[in-house]
Amino acid sequence: MNSTQAAAVTTPLETLESALGASWLAIRQARMRTHDTVRQLKDALKECEDNNCSVIVTGSLGRGEATDGSDADWVLLVDGPADPGHAKMAKDVAAKIKTIVNKDVGRTGTFGNIVASHDLVHYIAGTRDTNENLTRRILLLSESRALTNSAVRERVIGLVLDRYVRHDRSVRRREAKHYNQVPHFLLNDVVRYWRTMASDYASKMWERSREGWGTRNIKLRFSRKLLFIWGLFASFAGRLFNPSDAAVEDEDEFLATLTTLIKTQTEITPLDLLAVVASHESVQKNTAREVFSAYDKFLSVLSDPAQRDHLEKLPFENATTDELYNFLRDESDKFRSGINAIFFDEHTELKSLIREYGVF
Amino acid sequence: MRLIGFSTGALAKGDFTRGIQLQRQRGIRAVELSALRYDELAPLVSAVPSLDLSDFEHVSFHAPSRIQPEDEQTVFELLSSLPPEWPIVVHPGITFTPSLWRTLGARLCIENMDARKQMGRTVSEVRSLFGLFPEASLCLDVGHARQVDPTMASAILMLTEHRARLRQIHVSDIGPMGEHHPLGPLSKWAYARVARKIPRSCPLIIESVVPASAISREIEVVAAAFTPQAQENRSALQHS
Repeated sequence: MNSTQAAAVTTPLETLESALGASWLAIRQARMRTHDTVRQLKDALKECEDNNCSVIVTGSLGRGEATDGSDADWVLLVDGPADPGHAKMAKDVAAKIKTIVNKDVGRTGTFGNIVASHDLVHYIAGTRDTNENLTRRILLLSESRALTNSAVRERVIGLVLDRYVRHDRSVRRREAKHYNQVPHFLLNDVVRYWRTMASDYASKMWERSREGWGTRNIKLRFSRKLLFIWGLFASFAGRLFNPSDAAVEDEDEFLATLTTLIKTQTEITPLDLLAVVASHESVQKNTAREVFSAYDKFLSVLSDPAQRDHLEKLPFENATTDELYNFLRDESDKFRSGINAIFFDEHTELKSLIREYGVF
Repeated sequence: MRLIGFSTGALAKGDFTRGIQLQRQRGIRAVELSALRYDELAPLVSAVPSLDLSDFEHVSFHAPSRIQPEDEQTVFELLSSLPPEWPIVVHPGITFTPSLWRTLGARLCIENMDARKQMGRTVSEVRSLFGLFPEASLCLDVGHARQVDPTMASAILMLTEHRARLRQIHVSDIGPMGEHHPLGPLSKWAYARVARKIPRSCPLIIESVVPASAISREIEVVAAAFTPQAQENRSALQHS
């Protein structure tokens, strides 16, 4: 597909945009840009196809929100026997990606590396689940897309979800015909990751002497928060999108169905999933409009090189007086306010779910 | 006891006579005649009238896994000439002209594919195939299903959705390059998850490549993996 054909495919977000008579130009442009960049990356990586590997991008390319200043947060996901050749492949991948997206990946080492599926599947919680491992695992679920061999990505996502669902003792028969549809283990990790992102922001403020704080702060208010929202929706998917479990024959079928339902949420972008929920009849149109308009403004600023650069170099001392920063902070308040309304006041099912599972 | 047998190809590659003989000697009552390579098809089909298969309650026939489009008509005609009660196990990649294969009705037994193929791997891809071949039956290859989705959730959902089509099961442990190995502990545990969903009347065809000396043991291992008791043990292990 070219970008024109991509635009012809109706997504939940576009359906909502049309229903509200809104125009979220920056979101649409970011999607077109993502589509074109991903197509170029796939072409460049055609010779890197391997049965046991998948080159995966997360970040804005994974979410479908790439702008002019976006980097490519990639990993070489290996699900199979170790091979010294993987190191060479990772170098080839890095060089090929650099020809399309000429911006370095982050400095933490979380991206631009080989990632073994074993760590993602086996080290969930516990002392070996490092910050890096947690980040890779949740990003794989929430905002990843495969540039090569998507079967490997899907297989590893299935395995991670199997840990979260089938091996979670909370997900099992409660009464004769009803099962608990909310995997507590997954929900806990989603909350943990959100809190980790917030803590990482504070940690980087300290370690990097507030360098680049403006961009990180605004991303925390929008795109990072969006991942948390995705995680909550995915954890609640059994109740949100499949309220009746009466049709399943046995526990195995229930677990397979629930795992598959959550896996389905990994195939659409967080914004699209938010659009699905915001399209619910119980959500007020103004709320939906406010949420997506705010996000559109966030992407609009990021897609303007001058504004993005301004934000990146903004001294912390100027925060209270800087016009651009304050504009985005106000928009982020609207975004948060709308999200709070959806979760706590308007969506009939979410209201009860967030009360039941949100905190205590 | 389930009806369990071997693919002749797993036991003796293209030497189908030996593949049959090895099973008859052991009182095995299910067999799949295998012509996995195109060159093996015509000799096997022409030998069928002379083969003594009277000991077998279940006979199926595995079509070549890869053919050229120009050979499709020939392959189809050879397969059509087989006894009508035999399921013809077909990889979807050889059905270049769906209208041709649809005429086989339920004799056409579509097999789900491994991760290297481009179709027939997932629940939705298998569903699409049955949209194309609405009367076809299903040969569920649990090894392929596990390779694509080791959690076996896909296999469970395929069995739930296509139970009425299920004609036989292919069993082996699939290696990283798609090769067929004897069952190991991980594959046994995985297959135990789907055992309850497979009717006892459904034959299990083993594709594990084993020497003659290991035939009986592999049958025992497969039989144990596919008993409901194995499922119970597996569940107990998870919840302990």
